[in-house]
Amino acid sequence: MMIELEHVCQRYAFKKVLKDVTFTADKGQITCLIGLNGEGKSTLLKAIMGLTPIQGGAIRVDGKPPGRDIYEKVSYIPDHLAIPPSMRLSQAIGFMQDFYSSWNNERANELMRFFKLDINERAGRLSKGTAAKFNLVLGLAQDSAYVIMDEPFAGIDLFSRESIAELFSSDLVGSRGVLLTTHEVGEIEHFIDKAVLLREGTVARSFICEQVRGEEGKSVVDIMKEVLLA
Amino acid sequence: MNRYLKLVHLEVHRSRYMLFVLMALTVIIQLIGLVKTTRLRVNELSEIAGLQDSAHLKFSFADVIGASQFWFGLPILISGTVLGLYVFFIWYRDWIGRDKFAYRMFILPTARRNVYLAKASAIFIFVFAMVAFQLLLLLAERELFNQLVPSEYKMSSVFAEAVASNQLFDDILLPLDFMQFLVYYGLGILAVFAIFTAVLLERSYRWYGIVYAILYLAACGGAIGFAASLSYYGYLYPREMAVIRIGIYLVVMGVTLVLGFRLVSKKITV
Repeated sequence: MMIELEHVCQRYAFKKVLKDVTFTADKGQITCLIGLNGEGKSTLLKAIMGLTPIQGGAIRVDGKPPGRDIYEKVSYIPDHLAIPPSMRLSQAIGFMQDFYSSWNNERANELMRFFKLDINERAGRLSKGTAAKFNLVLGLAQDSAYVIMDEPFAGIDLFSRESIAELFSSDLVGSRGVLLTTHEVGEIEHFIDKAVLLREGTVARSFICEQVRGEEGKSVVDIMKEVLLA
Repeated sequence: MNRYLKLVHLEVHRSRYMLFVLMALTVIIQLIGLVKTTRLRVNELSEIAGLQDSAHLKFSFADVIGASQFWFGLPILISGTVLGLYVFFIWYRDWIGRDKFAYRMFILPTARRNVYLAKASAIFIFVFAMVAFQLLLLLAERELFNQLVPSEYKMSSVFAEAVASNQLFDDILLPLDFMQFLVYYGLGILAVFAIFTAVLLERSYRWYGIVYAILYLAACGGAIGFAASLSYYGYLYPREMAVIRIGIYLVVMGVTLVLGFRLVSKKITV
């Protein structure tokens, strides 16, 4: 039970954005995709969701290629709130409920309360931080086996970051497989099970965080500095 | 099917205000034209009533429509232009702005061709809603005409005459010949699908996509142009020409839909 990427390549015009990327994100684990800006992290997440085509290799979610079958199984939280600005939050929740049979309204209400969001507000009027919180509601309220998050902490204030980080150890994430990208590795380092470091469009290093801490006595940030700044 | 209908509802709901604005604009402009033209004609007739035999001083609703080409044509041209631009906008609005709704649209657990078909259906609903609204408005305008014109100046006319009096109604919007109606609206539907596929080519291949889209639209235009010019080939019977034309239209439609569905399912990039 996992998200698998095998020798994934992607080109944009004549430039290769991804070159032979191979790794897995297992169910029940939090996998963090780490890399400097422009290394193709977001592109990889989009490719898993079938939002951009790949030119080589294969992507599978529990053995199936990206497509309509995986959208109930994998919830995707992009780096922005993908809801029309005129929609009220209540309408956005209604929209999700209409289309996703994996939608869990009870959990949505719980998350709305957790983030103290007003259902009557329009999406276009939300601040960047509040939009990011609502984005998490839309992603986490699905009873999905996997959650993919692209920069969930971007634009969020310190206190909200802490409450979002709490989610990683809560039942709301629970036994799901999480694949995320973030620049704030330090803040969630203790929740991460596995780190995949991308450099120059390929996997420079992939490791189990606990193992590295035990065997090498290094944190994820230490390894990041070694690999990405080398 | 259920999710397709939900998507159609979503698209129509998102654009409902545009439709209401176009309807309101049509009502306002046409009513101004109708009242202005009718009053002017009534005043003219009142002035010359004493000089001529009043039996000949009559005019019908169709005459007013015919004399107000600008007032009746302008909202139709505006609506046509807006709906024409909307064929592009209905896709691009999901990519522009900070919300980029395309991210959500393309990860809905339904076949992506449903997104394509729902957007096309929304455009067709808008077009036919405007046509139906125009027909209802004509009925209301005839009623208003009856109220405005004193009975001694009023001449009766059938509804079809009124429709035929405006060049835009007669030539494009509401052709009275049913075959002509089918051909015009059939070509309109084909044009919407062709533009959709061209937009998807651009969204899939970006700069190269613009070139592919232009070439693709030129090929579609060439095929339709060839079908339209078949009558110049004198050695074909009308029935043969009709069969060839329908065949060409169906091939262009088929290729357009297959290509569009493939692009939206496999090649699109958000």
